[in-house]
Amino acid sequence: MPVYFLVTEAGVPSISEGILWAILGIPVFAFLIIFGLRQRIPELTSGYISIGAIAATLVLSIVVLFNVIGADGGIAIHTHNWLSIGDFDFNLGVRVDGLTAIMLIVVTSVATLVQIYSQGYMHGDPGYRRYYAYMSLFATSMLGLVLADNLLMLFVFWELVGLSSYLLIGFWFHKPSAAAAAKKAFIVTRIGDLGLLAALLLIGTRASTFQIDAIHELVLAGTLAGTTLTLFGLGIFAGAVGKSAQFPLHVWLPDAMEGPTPVSALIHAATMVAAGVYLVARFFPIFEASPDAREVVAWVGAITVAIGALIALVQTDLKRVLAYSTISQLGYMMLALGVFGYGAAVFHLFTHAFFKALLFLGSGSVNHATNTFDMGKMGGLRHTMPITFITFLIGSLSLAGIFPLAGFFSKDEILAEAWIENRTLYGIAAIAAFLTALYMFRAIFLTFFGEYKGGEVVPEEDKNIHFDGIPSVPHESSRVMTIPLLILTIGAIGAGWLAFGRTFHEFVEAALPEPPHHVVPFSYGIAISSSVIALSGIATAWVIYQKKLIPASEIYKTAFPFARLFEHKFGFDWLYEKIFVTRVFQQSWNRLIEQFDTRVVDAVVNASGTIVLVFAQGVRVVQNGQVQLYGVVLGVGLIAIVIIVFIANPL
Amino acid sequence: MELTALVFLPAAAAVLILLLPQRYAKISKWIALAAAIAALVLSVVLFFSFEHGAGYQFVERYSWIQIAGFDIQYALGVDGLSLPLVVLTTFLTVAAVLVSFRINLRERAYFASLLVLATSVLGVFTALDFLMFFLFWELELFPMFLLITIWGSGRRDYSATKFVLYTLAGSAFMLVGILTLASSAGTFDLEILASSVFGSTMIPLSVVFAFLFVGFAVKLPIVPLHTWLPDAHSDAPTAVSVMLAGVLLKMGGYGIIRTCITILPDQAKDFDIVFATIGALSVLYGAFVTFRQTDVKRLIAYSSVSHMGLVLLGLSGLGVTGLAGATYQMLAHGLITGMLFVVIGLMYDRTHTREISQLGGLARQMPLLATGLVFAGFASVGLPSLAGFIAEITIFLGAFQAFEWAVILAIFGAVLSAGYILWTLQRVVFGPPKSEWDSLTDQNQWWEHVPVLGLAALIVLLGVYPAIITDMLNPTLEFVVARLSI
Repeated sequence: MPVYFLVTEAGVPSISEGILWAILGIPVFAFLIIFGLRQRIPELTSGYISIGAIAATLVLSIVVLFNVIGADGGIAIHTHNWLSIGDFDFNLGVRVDGLTAIMLIVVTSVATLVQIYSQGYMHGDPGYRRYYAYMSLFATSMLGLVLADNLLMLFVFWELVGLSSYLLIGFWFHKPSAAAAAKKAFIVTRIGDLGLLAALLLIGTRASTFQIDAIHELVLAGTLAGTTLTLFGLGIFAGAVGKSAQFPLHVWLPDAMEGPTPVSALIHAATMVAAGVYLVARFFPIFEASPDAREVVAWVGAITVAIGALIALVQTDLKRVLAYSTISQLGYMMLALGVFGYGAAVFHLFTHAFFKALLFLGSGSVNHATNTFDMGKMGGLRHTMPITFITFLIGSLSLAGIFPLAGFFSKDEILAEAWIENRTLYGIAAIAAFLTALYMFRAIFLTFFGEYKGGEVVPEEDKNIHFDGIPSVPHESSRVMTIPLLILTIGAIGAGWLAFGRTFHEFVEAALPEPPHHVVPFSYGIAISSSVIALSGIATAWVIYQKKLIPASEIYKTAFPFARLFEHKFGFDWLYEKIFVTRVFQQSWNRLIEQFDTRVVDAVVNASGTIVLVFAQGVRVVQNGQVQLYGVVLGVGLIAIVIIVFIANPL
Repeated sequence: MELTALVFLPAAAAVLILLLPQRYAKISKWIALAAAIAALVLSVVLFFSFEHGAGYQFVERYSWIQIAGFDIQYALGVDGLSLPLVVLTTFLTVAAVLVSFRINLRERAYFASLLVLATSVLGVFTALDFLMFFLFWELELFPMFLLITIWGSGRRDYSATKFVLYTLAGSAFMLVGILTLASSAGTFDLEILASSVFGSTMIPLSVVFAFLFVGFAVKLPIVPLHTWLPDAHSDAPTAVSVMLAGVLLKMGGYGIIRTCITILPDQAKDFDIVFATIGALSVLYGAFVTFRQTDVKRLIAYSSVSHMGLVLLGLSGLGVTGLAGATYQMLAHGLITGMLFVVIGLMYDRTHTREISQLGGLARQMPLLATGLVFAGFASVGLPSLAGFIAEITIFLGAFQAFEWAVILAIFGAVLSAGYILWTLQRVVFGPPKSEWDSLTDQNQWWEHVPVLGLAALIVLLGVYPAIITDMLNPTLEFVVARLSI
């Protein structure tokens, strides 16, 4: 009897399997059509095909959601054999449960809005078709990742998501910075993927299965335990660290902002970067059973929360503020998972997707009007871009955790979970909550308040940067861009209300094979204190950046060493790229091996050739053309061979 | 008769081409193409009419030479291991002929050599007699030597000589091994040898195993017997690089499975740790050296050293999974590296440089070729849904059961390959377009489109529908492994 029946009285979702595969398959067709036909379809049509496909998957995802709700959050698994080699079965299968249903909704709804918005943002780009082809490729990969019922298939789509991310970060590949950022993103996340691969090999060889439900059962039965369990958990987590930009592999995400802004909103804020959180949540029973692995998750999450928030404080680029904010928020989700807060983590993933996508699209709208992301060149935009301003403000309030917006509920829960489990972690999370409000409102005041500073002139050589109009006269973006902003605002406001009555939590917790370890009740103490923290962060930003009672430059001078440290991103890029990759790896180690290869290995080969040549010069004396001598040598040799053969094989 | 026709069809076409009068030299490429396509069609027919099972099929046996109590046979046959490699060979031959359509120096000799090369490789994969196997193995050297010295570039004489001498040195060891086994069992028949128990032999069996292994390992190649490969690749014409990386290296891996492991299973069990060590070493060492390369072809050559190390790592598992992974890697690497060389070759035809520092920004002027390079690059990195991933994951799983440490070392190759491939893409196709390439055309001839698209299609096919190969492979390998477990 499957274990999950012990938990809830949930039924099995009756959704037909075909619908699930259709969700995966529709965007593939969109990709193949757009990519295959290329110039043969009109530019705008490529966008419509892609948007139509993703909207269709959104509709199907809603059907799935209601079906799973109807089954009280039950689990349905459909598996097929893909290939069998030796002892291993590789399966292709789909799994649908509360967690899957929520992820499907997040991915398809944000993707649909972002793709609609992109029609405005990418308008006139020579790579318009390519953009929509890649967007469809991404949708397929992400949906496959979420639907996969086994670790191997999950890994397949996990890597494909990495490919689409690479292609979209490097979308403007003629820019050296974009090409470098794309490469960096793929390689850094692949370092984490080594852990995931190792976990895959470990579970495959030790347990002979990749099925998620089978692995869960092995954990509950105690068969999968001890060091193997911890190593497996850490391997899974390593993959999550790469994809979800956790310390120490967070360095790729800020650079990924080289991609078009809607890409940043969809992939590098709402969905792909949350895949790591999803992965750990999917294998949550492993982390429940392994305190060591859980401890690592919690601390890596907490460090990431702090690093992200601190660096976000000193960024001058609006999009980079949001990027570091994303790193920090993903850290919150990991932290939650590390303190048993499965429901809280998934809930924060859910609400964050809406308000962070909103903020990124808002920054894109600002970029469209000013042709820059540099906040030093913005200011006063609340008058010229009222819709962008209002929606951005609501998104920021939600992110800061102001009641009754979405972010309040989810962040509050994480703080409550941390409070129960570990006060140090709570402290870090609470301080970072203050910083979150501070950096977001610093950005708001710099961007939307004060005097407009003129934007940036369009450089002649770079025609691909999206801009319509004149930077000195900013204007509100077109409706195709503002309507998605408004819709996302609804999510940023209301997504948190699903917390009432633990509706959301019970739904996603039904995906676990066992009820959660502890249910943290709503606490007024935590709620009020976190609201005070958030409000004081906003107030501090107001004092410094709006009222300018304390000049920012003074603070900078006072906290100089720290400010420099934050500005240099704690030196990670310097350490990784300048020291490790360039000096240690390429210029020392690889050079050493290469020199060994040419000066030792190949030199020996050439030397042996030379020796033979020299020897041959000597032997040439014998080869004098006298047939008699040849005959003698031939005869002696033949006799020698016969003797040897007879000695070796006596008759 | 099917296999005889298949193996000698290219050689017959070669003879026909050589008999052409000079004024008809222009049609030699068409004859070569027709022969290559005919061989491909025939091999595909065989592939689909093969009944999944352990033994050899389409077997032909004729007594050939009777001497000193030995019955040396003319014997051909294919099983689940060799048949996919045969199809790979015929497929890449077509690709090699097509990418040679620009050749206008001594066309008749060129295409004849290319076809003889195909015959020799097909012979190696289908021979059921060890001596015949060896003859085909040696036959390959003649066309290769000519192709590199006459149509090559750079230090072509040095590279060709190095290639030939290296292979011959390995073959000398191999021949001693072959003769020892044959004299002990009284036959050269690979099928009988595979079920023979060897008594006392002149040379200890473990030494015989090592000798055979060295002969094959040179071809694979393994570190430290690999330095001929980058030289041969960088100086060879495109089509030869395609054949060399695509199928010639695979003769090494095939030989190890077909002879070393199948005929001497007990010795294989002693040598598995050698496989694992050299395999992991080759993966990492090859990758490190790849990072330092400045010539695109040398870069791909060194990456081949790294990727072929995986073949050996897979063999170290000595189970169905590991052997299947190793075989799959041979197929995947043949297609992927073949495609890399095709695309690089087509770029070289236009830019006349392979120096990475001189290239750059080609994605603007040559979007199709750039797409091809990015595709093949990601295939080489082992992207899931493409052929290389299936091979890698299977190899890792198979070897992990036996040598966890070797696999843990080798998986770093996955990051290293991402590093050097993506760095190469960044420097060759991305970045600001360079004005000196503005006048160049993109991939625009049908004989350029066909090999690129064909290879890409097969790489995808093997990535998403691996059962087409593994279902054929499994029974054969189960037979091999059954002998290992006695």
